[in-house]
Parts: sequence; C-alpha cells; structure tokens
Amino acid sequence: MKFRQGTPLVDDRAEEELAAEVRRVAAALGEPHQEAPPDPYWQNLLVRTNDRVDRATSGRALTISWAARVAFPGVVAILSFLIGLRYFAPQHESHAPTLANVFLSMPQQAVDTLLSDPSEISAALSVADLGVDPLNPEKEEFANYLINNGSVATLEESMSDQQVTAVLTALGSYREQSTTGVRQQ
Amino acid sequence: MDQKSDQDLVQDVRNGNRQAFTELMRRHQQRVYWVARRIVGNHEDADDIAQDAFIKAFLSLGDFRGDSSFFTWLYRIAVNLSLNTVRRRQVLTYLRESEILSRFLPLGNDPHHDLELKELESRLQRAIGSLPEKQRAVFVLRYYDGMPYEEIAGVLKTSVGGLKANYFHALRKVQEYLKDEISTGNTAR
Repeated sequence: MKFRQGTPLVDDRAEEELAAEVRRVAAALGEPHQEAPPDPYWQNLLVRTNDRVDRATSGRALTISWAARVAFPGVVAILSFLIGLRYFAPQHESHAPTLANVFLSMPQQAVDTLLSDPSEISAALSVADLGVDPLNPEKEEFANYLINNGSVATLEESMSDQQVTAVLTALGSYREQSTTGVRQQ
Repeated sequence: MDQKSDQDLVQDVRNGNRQAFTELMRRHQQRVYWVARRIVGNHEDADDIAQDAFIKAFLSLGDFRGDSSFFTWLYRIAVNLSLNTVRRRQVLTYLRESEILSRFLPLGNDPHHDLELKELESRLQRAIGSLPEKQRAVFVLRYYDGMPYEEIAGVLKTSVGGLKANYFHALRKVQEYLKDEISTGNTAR
C-alpha cells in the first residue's frame, strides 16, 4: 500500500457530507433508480439456480455432448485402424517360398555349383513341391551336362548299374577300336 | 426453517438438506443480485453472477470455515465474480479499440458494445463504471448497502483504513463526474 505523505485522514463527518452531496447532485440530475426485476423473477431465480446446482452435482458422467465430442470420434478412429490393419497392412508370405522359386531366382552360377556338387544340397531340401524339376532333367541331358562339367565320380554315382555297364562296354569297344586304329597306323 | 440462523442452515446443507440451501438462497438472493447489478451495471450479467455465486457457494461449502458470517462469505464470492466480469469486459473493450485488432473487428459496429452503453442506464451508473475496480466495489457496498467498514473489510479482504480512503476518493470522482455532466448541459434520460 502506498503511503501518501500529507494525505489528511478521512473523518466520518467529511465522508458523510460528501456522500450527501453526491446524492443531492444525482437527484438534481433526475437520475432514475435502477429498475428492479419483477417479483416472479426471484422465484424463477431460485428454480434456475437449483437446476444448475443439480446438474453440477449429478453423477452422470456421460452426456450427449461428451458422447459427440469424445466417444463417437474415438470409436470411429479405432474401427478405422482395425479395418486398415486388416486390409491394407503389408502381406507377409504365410509359408516359405518353394524350392522351385528359390532355384528360379538364383543366379546361373549358383545353380551350376549345386548341380556339379550335389553334396552341397542340404538333405532338408524338399523337391516334393517342385513345379519345374531342375534336379531331374531329362536323363540324357543330365548325363551330357555331367560329362561336360562334372566329375567322373559324380557321373558314376548318378548312373544306374545298367548304364555303367553300357558305358564301360562302349568304352571297352572304343579302346579296342582305338588300339586297332593305332596298330593299323 | 425461517427461524434458523444462517449457521444452522449451513450445517443442514452439509448434512445433505437441499431445502436448507434453498432457504439460504431465498434470504440472500436480492442482496447478491443488487451488489452484482451495481458493479457490472446491467441485469443480464447480474443474473448470471447471482446464479454463479450461489452455485459456487454450494460447491465450496466444505471450505467455509465460519471465520466470517455466511453472508459475508457469499458476498465476497459475488463481488469477486462481478469484478471478474468487469475485467473481462474491459479487456474486450481494449481489444476492440486496439489499433491492431481494429483491422479485424469493425469499431463501433459491435452490437454488444452498443448494448453495454445502453445498459449503463444512468449517469450515476456511468460514473460508478468509470471507477477502478476496488473503488467501485467499496462504493457500491458502502453507498448503496450502507455496509459497515468492518464488514466490507471482511468481504474485500483489506484494511478498514484503506477502505475509508478508497471510498472517499470514489465519492470525489463520482461527484466530479456528475458535476461535469451538469456543466456540459447533458439532459437527464
């Protein structure tokens, strides 16, 4: 509170005189009294105030306004999320790719490596679901491939006994022919 | 129930008797209304403030310790709500008249502003409206209600000496305002 030096203390008489002067001037101006509300207003005020007190103290938490502002948009947001998750989320493969898909996607050099050395092929590999069967080409093609690229041991293991006998017989006759040809020369 | 004191009625309300609160409202509603009406200057705001004051009193009854009378405590709520309304109105008036906002708000075409002017229904009311908040509250409580300074001190939470000075200055300002009105020849409405 500011301390005003020299401010005279207000005595009650001076205050009363000044208040009387103000009333006199207001009356001289013909100032009307503030219009009072009609009598029914006071009963109506009681009723309205009691209603507001009831609303303020009621235990009702869910109002239409709250439902419109919070509950409904919230439900819509959750449903949209679930629908989006169901239909638009990235799809993952439910099962491992087939062996055929794996082989078809492999580079040629890797395929060659597998065919020339079957020991690299894991026993866990399944060929049952191969649509195209790269491991079982036509026997003649396979044999030609092995002759050109594979080892003799591999060739032997892949051939049946009958085929081996046939080859040896052919090789034997080829050697005879070769020897004869050399002698004749 | 008419014979019971305010203190007994307050206790009844605390015990869950809503009728006791209705009786308290009936006893004090006119004085609460009029103190609000004289501070804010119009019926509509005074009506809102009267309701708000009673609702706030009901909800805060647990905080009422009985240091002062129930009426003083209720009056304090009503005066504070009234002064808040006055402050809000002053901020709105300032914003309307602000150079920056005048680009966005049409000055003088605001029906609410014009209505406020009309609501200050007499020059005396306009004189009171020109007072600072505290002087306005003291003036209304003393000039119209004849409330003793000790009781006003309880309502406004300030010293008796400060209140006397405030009231005297308020009377001076109102007197000068009204004399100016006479000297400029403004006719009564």
